[in-house]
Amino acid sequence: MSADHTNEETTADNRFNWLFDASLIILAATSTAVVVVAGLVQVSFGSYSMTFLEAWRAVFNLDVILDARVWNAFLFGGELPDIGERSLIVWNIRLPRVFVAVLVGANLAVSGAIFQAVTRNELASPFILGVSSGAGLAILLTLVVLPGLTIVIPLIVGQFVLSTSNLLPLFASLGGIAAFLVVYVIAWRGGTSPVRLVLAGVIVGTVFSSLQTALFFFADDIGVVQNAVAWTTGSLRGTDWEQVRIALPWTVAAVGLAVAGSRQLNVLLLGERTASSLGMSVERVRFALSGVAVLAAAASIAVAGIVGFVGLIVPHMVRNIVGSDYKKLIVGCLFAGPALMVAADVGARLGMGVLTGSEAQQIPVGIVTGLIGGPYFLYLMRRQQNMGEI
Amino acid sequence: MKPEASEDKGRVEDEESAENPSDIVGENLVVGYGAGENVIENESMVAEPGKVTALVGPNGSGKSTLLKALANHLAPDEGVVSVDGSEINDLNKKEIARRLSMLSQESISPDSITVEELVTHGRYPHRGFFETMTKEDREAVERAIELAGIEHLRNRELGSLSGGQKQLAWIAMVLAQETGVLLLDEPTIFLDLRHQLEVMRIVETLRDESDVTVVVVLHDINQAARYSDRMVVLKDGCVSARGKPEEVLTEELLADVFGIEARVENTDRGPRIEPLRPTEDDG
Repeated sequence: MSADHTNEETTADNRFNWLFDASLIILAATSTAVVVVAGLVQVSFGSYSMTFLEAWRAVFNLDVILDARVWNAFLFGGELPDIGERSLIVWNIRLPRVFVAVLVGANLAVSGAIFQAVTRNELASPFILGVSSGAGLAILLTLVVLPGLTIVIPLIVGQFVLSTSNLLPLFASLGGIAAFLVVYVIAWRGGTSPVRLVLAGVIVGTVFSSLQTALFFFADDIGVVQNAVAWTTGSLRGTDWEQVRIALPWTVAAVGLAVAGSRQLNVLLLGERTASSLGMSVERVRFALSGVAVLAAAASIAVAGIVGFVGLIVPHMVRNIVGSDYKKLIVGCLFAGPALMVAADVGARLGMGVLTGSEAQQIPVGIVTGLIGGPYFLYLMRRQQNMGEI
Repeated sequence: MKPEASEDKGRVEDEESAENPSDIVGENLVVGYGAGENVIENESMVAEPGKVTALVGPNGSGKSTLLKALANHLAPDEGVVSVDGSEINDLNKKEIARRLSMLSQESISPDSITVEELVTHGRYPHRGFFETMTKEDREAVERAIELAGIEHLRNRELGSLSGGQKQLAWIAMVLAQETGVLLLDEPTIFLDLRHQLEVMRIVETLRDESDVTVVVVLHDINQAARYSDRMVVLKDGCVSARGKPEEVLTEELLADVFGIEARVENTDRGPRIEPLRPTEDDG
């Protein structure tokens, strides 16, 4: 048996050949265009009025983009040099929100894609294994039980102040991760299976959601309730570079691991038995990949709360376009997730203004993604005969 | 089939020696599915190195269960399975998968994956976490595709194939593993005659032209008789006969194990049985 097929082209093995796939490139280009256009719309509107042209000039202001001190301020929290009023508003107030949306969209999409492979179910979302209910409960507990908490930790230089508002993101993420671990413990009996995991997710989700709803009765003022609703439906209101700094390292880690694990995901899709006879330690790989997905979900929860539907729809849309090869799917999600999230946030921030005329009104972005997600699934249901298993 | 001397020093080392055919031995196996009775009761089974061994028996006789125990899909309650002299429990999963491959009865896959991609997954145990496909991996994939006779299908999506074509693609995937031992669980079930013959032709090629040790569970006794060097007949979790097909397949055995009256004819392609009717006494 000779291998005469193995010519120069295939022996010169290229790790990234698969990236040059027409549908993937089109998807990436379209998504990038959506992000740019929606981002430019976002920076052009706001209470400080400027024209489109002024806003766009501020975005592409090379004095800002090429200044290392500015980036030091943005990414590491250093002191911001004087960059002019318009640039300040665009770069320090409006653009960070777009960047956070990009990070949240990428995280949720990748997380959903992983969970869909792990559970072999294309209706799985980042929150299928209890993450959202755990995070929601943690959010309510923090807001209701520790409303005005301030802890001052004296340090040698100055002091470190912990208050409810800056503990909330941490608690929300930890709540989600804890719920995921509880789900795994419940599902474990000498090993686990997709069905057991999903069932355990439903069990934990039901109990935690009940507790979360019960806690609403202990919230004594409307502000706390609104804050809780914003967090549990997901909102990008008031996000700035601080949120970018929180989410970015985790996003990079989670996305890197997801891309590296895409071949494992592909083999996992062949079913547990096949994966196991091919030499995969299925339980270990499944837990590790779920952990990566939970990390991505937790990073997005920390900055935006629990944004629904993005992690469910995006992998689905991408799969319809590039197929179920996870190498392409994950990369596709990295583009399509931000596109959906940034576009939805335009609706969340500016939509109410268009509808009611009052510019101050904003709705949580999770409401918009839900309004997009429902009809999309209706459309799929009509078009596709069988949905469910990948 | 197996790669000769390995020139890939840096890669995952293939421990098995290339000269001697691999053997797989199950000793004093007691296998069950947790609660209830054991399906296999203290049986041993040795597959002759480099040959094809067929496991046959009526429904529920435990032939698939025995195969699963050999493949490490089911942990036996007692007894040990060893491949090439190493106990399977002492090997890690990738080491096992480099020594023995197993094609289960029904396999699932996403519809949009191509045949070539599927076959490429057969190289999983030979690749490290970050490793790309080496020249050797590609050659193994090519050999497997050629041996399975599916060059014309390589770029087709699995969802667009017939059941028989799919089965050939799956066989190519386990062939790409290039293991010394190949286990097949009823590879011809639900296939039309042509595809049954194509599958069995692969087994025949492995028998005649390679050192791969094949253990195959077959439903069709005639197929087993024609393509195997050794047969192991199971009844109620016990081996009732083993040996060459022409020694094993007798009218008494068929009556005793399968509960049928049959005529056995010796042809140049091995014994042929013609089932006549169920025996009277069986309840």
